[in-house]
This record gives sequence, structure tokens and C-alpha cells, in this order.
Amino acid sequence: MTGTDFLSLFQGVHTLLESSTAIMLARIGFMILGMLLVYLGKKGILEPLLMIPMGLGMSAVNAGVLTLSSGQQGTLFLDPLVTNQEQLFNLMQIDFLQPIYTLMFSNGLIACFVFMGIGVLLDVGYVLARPFLSMFLAICAELGTVATFPIATAMGFNANDAASISMVGGADGPMVLYTSLMLSKDLFVPIGVVAYLYLGLTYGGYPYLIKFLVPAKLRALPITEKKVIVVTSGQKLAFAVVGCTVLCLLFPVAAPLFFSLFLGVAVREAGLQYFVDFIGGPLLYGATLFLGLTLGVLCEASTILSPKVLLLLILGIIALLLSGIGGIMGGYIVYLLSGRKFNPVIGIAGVSCVPTTAKVAQKIVSEVAPNVVVLPIALGASISGVITTAILTGIYVTIIPQLKLLFPQ
Amino acid sequence: MNSSVSIALVVFTLAFVLSMLVAAMIKVVYWTVRYLSSRMENRK
Repeated sequence: MTGTDFLSLFQGVHTLLESSTAIMLARIGFMILGMLLVYLGKKGILEPLLMIPMGLGMSAVNAGVLTLSSGQQGTLFLDPLVTNQEQLFNLMQIDFLQPIYTLMFSNGLIACFVFMGIGVLLDVGYVLARPFLSMFLAICAELGTVATFPIATAMGFNANDAASISMVGGADGPMVLYTSLMLSKDLFVPIGVVAYLYLGLTYGGYPYLIKFLVPAKLRALPITEKKVIVVTSGQKLAFAVVGCTVLCLLFPVAAPLFFSLFLGVAVREAGLQYFVDFIGGPLLYGATLFLGLTLGVLCEASTILSPKVLLLLILGIIALLLSGIGGIMGGYIVYLLSGRKFNPVIGIAGVSCVPTTAKVAQKIVSEVAPNVVVLPIALGASISGVITTAILTGIYVTIIPQLKLLFPQ
Repeated sequence: MNSSVSIALVVFTLAFVLSMLVAAMIKVVYWTVRYLSSRMENRK
């Protein structure tokens, strides 16, 4: 038996040695990165619910490359690039994750399921108690979502791709996936992966940004509430119904996402406990599992390897950094307008990583002033961040195709 | 580059206006439901 014949028994190794140096190194790199993500997930440095299936999927898909009957290299996980209908039908019977990808991922259904789950977990009462303050902080924290757009176009991205990568600044994974699916199908795999990788980092990175921008004296500033505002479930339900209808009316393109989010809120506030248990449990966690798994499996070296990936990594971090700065700037504006009675740290919660950024704000404040509670106001800003990110998604998805007519490259 | 900065400014202005409208809508909903529920309680 010759060396080549022997190696062909172990197709993963055979294809690794047969591929170009760049692909070989990328496959090895992704296998190691996948293991690292699992480790960081287990340690709690990155979000374990996403990172463990994603990391394992990344390692497995890059290891399990084989020579297919067509003579080309591929995997038995899924093929995101197939467009031919007959070929797709055949693949649905061969690649075990192809049905999930085609019927749930590439049409945004999985993102909608996650949004329903988020809706069930949200208590919109925090927003209803202080709507203008919450929405103001949230829109300030969208600085990265807006300012990254011209930076990305200056780096050579077209308007669609620039808008998609800018959405990372909104710190909302399903929105990034949805925007890139709508605007830049070619780049949605790397953009989605970059977004979810960075979102896991917000919990670790934002505390340093807050400490750098807000002095300890201001971080310890107490919040004096004039009166406690009680919001009934009827008011929350009315808000969900009216809010969903108005936003769908304004942005039909993002209507599935608005509907999913407010469906979760409505089900919770209507007291439909069986639905709450289902959406907040099996549906949310099932969707999160398959989201992480699919994102990991999509990181196959030959699919994802593109010179644009490095630029996307840089732009993603710029977007999140600018959004964090914008949020704290919003906090400072409210601090000045309120006669220096508002803790500017709360501004970071406008970045819509519910409830991570709100918890970050409370943690940083508690380090210098254990008795100061900012969490209720921070949660209001954080939930509003979901709404402002949805608004920006709607704007980008609606106006960018129109702009193509005005500015044909 | 200039056109993309203009687009970003338009997007931000639009998002800001819409966010404030949503905030106003939230207030209106809050007060309307509060008013209606207090009227219903008074009737009882």
C-alpha cells in the first residue's frame, strides 16, 4: 500500500495535505480557534451558550473535510454556497445541517426565534417608566452603528457590506445576521461570526472603557429617584401591541424581527404561562444551540477565508468601541442636563446587549459605591437599545437599496 | 467618502427622530391606559 493510498483512508488528513498552504494553515488555525472558544466558553470569559457549540462546530467542520463524489473537497455538514435548486434538494438529503441552514438560518427564522425568546425575558416596564431617558441613551449608544458606515466605505466596502458590518455596533446578534442576510449575502457568514465573537467580549472589554472614560468620583454618583413609577401589565401589553404595529408600519422590511420581539413581550404580559415557558425555554435555547452550531460549521476555511475578513475584524471592534463611547457620551449629556445628578456610567447600558451591558454598569458602580443601585435605569436603556438597533436595521435595510439608485458606484 | 458621511448623518438623524417618536408613543400609551383603567375603576 503506497503512502497516498494509506492517507486516503483518513480523508481529513489527506485533504489537509492536498490543499493549498493557505487553506491548510487556515483549517489548522480554525481547529485550534474552535478549541480555544470552547475553553473560553467553559471559563465564562465568552458566552458559553453560543461559544461551546460554535467552537466545537468550527473544529469539527475544519477537521472533517473529505473528497466528495464530484471530486471536489467538501464536508457532510452543509454547503452555504449552493444556489442550484436540484443540487440543494440533493444536499438536503446528504448534509445533516443543510435543512437547518436552508429552512431556518438563511431566511432569518432562527434569529426571529431568538428574538421571541429575548422578548419573553424583557420587562418593558423599565422603558415605560422613563421612555425619553432610555431611548436617548440608547440612540447615543448607536454611534458605532452609524459612524462605522463611512469608515467601512473608506476601506473599500460597498454600501450594503458597510451597513451590514456597521450593525455590529448595535451589539445585537440577530439584527446583524438579519441585516447581512438582507444586504450582503456573500459576507454574512464572516460578519455573523465576527459579530458573535465580539458580542462575547463586551462583558470583558467595556469595564475598561468605562474606567478610562469616567472618573471614580462620578462612577460613585448616587441616583435619587423622585417617585417610584408603577407600570401595570396592561400598559406593557398595550405598548407591545401599539409599538409593534407602528414599527411594522414604518419598516415593513424589518417587520419579522419587530413582530418576534413584541410577540415575546405580549405573551409575557398577557400571562400566557405555557407560551412563556415554551418560548423562554425550549424555543430560545434550542434556537441558540442551532445558531451557535450553524455559525461554527459555517467557519469552514475554504468558505470563510477572504482578505475582507481581517478588515471585518477591525471594523467590528471599531463599531463596538464607538458605540460604547457614544453610550458614555450620552450618559455625560444627561449628567450635565440633570444638574450633575445622573451617573454617566449608565450610558454604557444603551448598547443593546441585554442584559449584559446593564449588569456591567451595575458591577462597575458597585465596585466604587456598593450601595448605589443603577440597574433599573440601566435595564431601561439596555432594552431601548434593542428597539433603537431594530430601528437602525429597518433604516439600513430600507434605504441602502434606494441609495444604490442614487449613487450607482 | 463625503456621500457616505452624509448617508451616516441622515441615518442617525432619522434614527434619532424615530427613537424620540417611539418614546413619545410609549408615554402616550402609558397615560392612555392609565386614564382608561382609572375611569373603569371609578365606574365600578
